[in-house]
Amino acid sequence: MKKRRGHVTATKLAAYLFLLPGFLFFCFSILIPFFMGIHIAFTDWNGINYDYNYVGFQNFIGMFKDQRIAQPIRNSLVFALIGVVAGTVFSLGMALLANSREAKAGKFVRTVFFIPVCFSAVLTAFIWKFIYKEVFFNAFGIKSPLGNPDWVIPAIILMGLWNSSGINMLIYYSGLKNIPTDLYEAAMIDGASTMQKFRTITLPLLTPAFSVCVTLTLTSYLREFAMTLSATEGGPGGASRTLAIYVYENLYKFSKAGYGQAVALVFALFCILLGNAVSRFFRKREVEM
Amino acid sequence: MKKKLKAPYVISTVFLVLALIFFIAPIFLAVITSFKSPMEIAESILALPKSLNLDNYADGMKKSDFLRSLRNSATITFPSVFLIVLFSSMGGYSIARNSHWSKLIRSMDSLYLASLMIPFQILMIPVYKIFKNLGLQNNLMGMILMLTGYSIAYATYLYVGFVKSVPREIEEAALIDGCGPLQMFFRIVFPLLKPITATVAALHVMWLWNDFQISIILLQRDKVRTLTVKQFYFFGQYTAEYGMAFAASIVAMIPVVLVFILLQKYIVAGISAGAVKT
Repeated sequence: MKKRRGHVTATKLAAYLFLLPGFLFFCFSILIPFFMGIHIAFTDWNGINYDYNYVGFQNFIGMFKDQRIAQPIRNSLVFALIGVVAGTVFSLGMALLANSREAKAGKFVRTVFFIPVCFSAVLTAFIWKFIYKEVFFNAFGIKSPLGNPDWVIPAIILMGLWNSSGINMLIYYSGLKNIPTDLYEAAMIDGASTMQKFRTITLPLLTPAFSVCVTLTLTSYLREFAMTLSATEGGPGGASRTLAIYVYENLYKFSKAGYGQAVALVFALFCILLGNAVSRFFRKREVEM
Repeated sequence: MKKKLKAPYVISTVFLVLALIFFIAPIFLAVITSFKSPMEIAESILALPKSLNLDNYADGMKKSDFLRSLRNSATITFPSVFLIVLFSSMGGYSIARNSHWSKLIRSMDSLYLASLMIPFQILMIPVYKIFKNLGLQNNLMGMILMLTGYSIAYATYLYVGFVKSVPREIEEAALIDGCGPLQMFFRIVFPLLKPITATVAALHVMWLWNDFQISIILLQRDKVRTLTVKQFYFFGQYTAEYGMAFAASIVAMIPVVLVFILLQKYIVAGISAGAVKT
């Protein structure tokens, strides 16, 4: 009896010990920085010195007086809005195209659509910067849209579509593959048109895929950083400066790390709430098969 | 009937071809430009190179200090992926098998899940501060610590899902044979996790190799810059010399593209099963 009990405790102990190394790493990279971040948001740390003062809620109040913050907020929202609409239409369209071909051709198409996913955001930005600047000008006589405050965000989103649509396309594609074909056959017998079939069968049954892709695209555009920093550094004249770039600039350019952290916290809270709201919206609409 | 089917088919083919061009053309342009001399680029952007001139490659690799950045990228990517696979498989196994009796393990699972919602921006400044205080800035070992810890929660989550689908009978049999926990995991369970291990490894090689937002904050000195960070500065410095800049970055892409080609099956399987994050 005694031996058996010893064995059970050993198993329990092993369960915790198995979790421990990963958890220590997790604490180092996420948990500790997270709580330290809350602490920094209440200080006037400049990002350089070792000492700093507590300033209470001053950083949070300061946001309302900050003249520079309105533009990054607006830009991040524009990124998210255009990015989600364009990204959804585009990747769903590609999934439908890939799905409409025979198995072999479909696989080839999917591979090609997916290859740009391997490219880093930095390289994507540079390739497209080259295309916009040189190819657009030489072939069509158009000046780079990256230099135009009205077109810079759509131009960066187009880069994003190239770089990361492959992922959403695959999610929609596997969603399409999961729709039982007899539903379409039944609809055909009832004389439904292609459009009707799409609206009444495909779209509702793809809701789980929508819920993943829209939430993902939304939060990733809200956090837009690497591609935009490499392509325009937030320019021209701040026309593409996102909130993430603004936080980064507060650390490296303006030496206002404490304030930057307060902005980041509010922004993160907003991302989490919005992400949750969107995924709840779709989850409610999921249909049982 | 036949005629009716034709029009949609033609339209969808047109769209398909346009989409294929959209995805391939930028890569194609980057590759042809990488073989052209500055003269040829000035003459025509779209023309094919006159010869397979490798000067850009030699030049670009030398000027971008390619071998050092390559070594830096490899030094942070592969050990991190190894640690991620090792510790998150152990953790995922423990969570999947023990969360029914331990409240602590259950709450650890929820903590990992909640952490997936956190955008990196709120960690950026504190991580910078911690690394500064510990003197770990511009240190590749520190970068491995950071990347591993940053990826653990998500990788563990993938393993938990997979372990739950593995039947317990084999483990019960091994237990009766007197198998200890470590032996049980490494000799019996871990080999069964091969598919998800391949997915986790492939996705993380791709993500860590291309990482920018963590590296740009922690690796400021030239000596420790990875390929992605190096590209960022290199392109800024040589904006006019496209040929050379593209040559240097095409070489930098080769390892990831190889991983993608070799492990494509697992990446696709992982993403289709919902293995995505940003």
